[in-house]
Amino acid sequence: MKCEHIAELLPDYLQGRLSAELHHNVEAHLEQCADCREEVVIWRKLSLLPVEQPGPASRARFEAMLQAYQAGRSNQPADDSSWRKRASAWSWNVFHWLRSPLGAAAWSAALLAIGVYAGLQVAGSKSHSQDFQAMQSELASMKQLVVLSMLQQQSASARLEGVTWSTRDQQLDPQVLSALLHTLRYDASVDVRLAALDALSRHGRQPQVHKGILDSLQQQQSPLVQVALIDLLLEWRDPDAAQRLQALQQAPNLNPTVRQRVEWAKSKLN
Amino acid sequence: MTLAPDEDLMLQVRDGAGETLGVLFDRYQTPLFNFYSKLTGDRTLSEDLVQEVFLRILKYRQSYRPGTPFRAWVYQIARNARIDHFRKFPRQTALEPEMLPPVLPTDSAQEQQEVELLQRALQQLPEEKREILLLCRFQELKYEEIAALLGCELNTVKTRIHRALQDLRKAFHQLARGTMLKKAEAAAAESIPPRGGHHEV
Repeated sequence: MKCEHIAELLPDYLQGRLSAELHHNVEAHLEQCADCREEVVIWRKLSLLPVEQPGPASRARFEAMLQAYQAGRSNQPADDSSWRKRASAWSWNVFHWLRSPLGAAAWSAALLAIGVYAGLQVAGSKSHSQDFQAMQSELASMKQLVVLSMLQQQSASARLEGVTWSTRDQQLDPQVLSALLHTLRYDASVDVRLAALDALSRHGRQPQVHKGILDSLQQQQSPLVQVALIDLLLEWRDPDAAQRLQALQQAPNLNPTVRQRVEWAKSKLN
Repeated sequence: MTLAPDEDLMLQVRDGAGETLGVLFDRYQTPLFNFYSKLTGDRTLSEDLVQEVFLRILKYRQSYRPGTPFRAWVYQIARNARIDHFRKFPRQTALEPEMLPPVLPTDSAQEQQEVELLQRALQQLPEEKREILLLCRFQELKYEEIAALLGCELNTVKTRIHRALQDLRKAFHQLARGTMLKKAEAAAAESIPPRGGHHEV
């Protein structure tokens, strides 16, 4: 038996799926052929590769996704009730119109058009990529739903995870951005606020995000976040930087380190 | 107590019992994670892709048909998730050895070295060859299922596995030779005294 024949049999041999006779033939070949033998050896060696474990946060992320998905599904009808009312009024009118003689003629023509269109679609299907795009955008919005749900969790670590997750998408929808801005201003945990700032600063080119971030400076109480915001102010070369720093400097009970940072930043601006 | 088959659980998920998906998550997150991490060498991305797979299972659960082997179905989703990801974010850099998972200490130093070489050899293979080896060796998929997954004939799958193994063997031996050569050089360098040093007379 030659190597070419073995090529067909080897995969089944490796999984013990050959008849006794073929199994014997392959073994006889392996005794003579070092290359094929080594292939078997390398296949067995593959079992040495360690099984890696995903990170511990993986399960929690899954739970959050599942919850968000289920919550999103049960919320859907309530969210767009006004739209539904309008839609049902419209369909009622259309229904009446379709029952009129003119409507009946139009209806038949429409059915014919649909038939022709469907035929063309089946003949040369181009709709696949459109379906695909629709699927993609649905998935993107699901992910953002997860972020929104995580930002509202009780535990700080879950909210932190939500912020981190938001950084995985290059584009965020306005709802997520405004939730992140809300987190930056009002979240009870400094870590979460810092993470939100980091996530938001990636979207600083959008004017409303830019303004939202810098406006939050006045409300921050934590020196850590204040310093991070001052640094961002410098980095972005914000036109109102001097004015904002001045306002901060006048805040009562300003932490001495922050005050120092403000002075340093002002010197950099000049 | 016997465990409920994956297929039964998936049918429950399809019919609205979303929480049952947790059981399937526990069963599949590690195999899927290993599929991705051995394929891409990137842990963070692999974790993201595992989440993406389960999100897609939820989204497309209505498309699951009774009688479909769940494992094959889920790997179809997993492959698509990866393909879509790299379509959106094309890879800019080749896989660096630093990105490879750390090798855990094992009983023998030789075994540890072999694992390291094997990981590097695997990463040197073209992606489609690496993938087919991972699917048949680690993901417990039948050749027939792999054929359906890749959209090719059963015999083509077998030939591809054979070729991938051939390449892996060559890459492994090349790396092993390189390592031995380095060791020999290092040993030789140690035995030769450094030149130009100060010698007191």
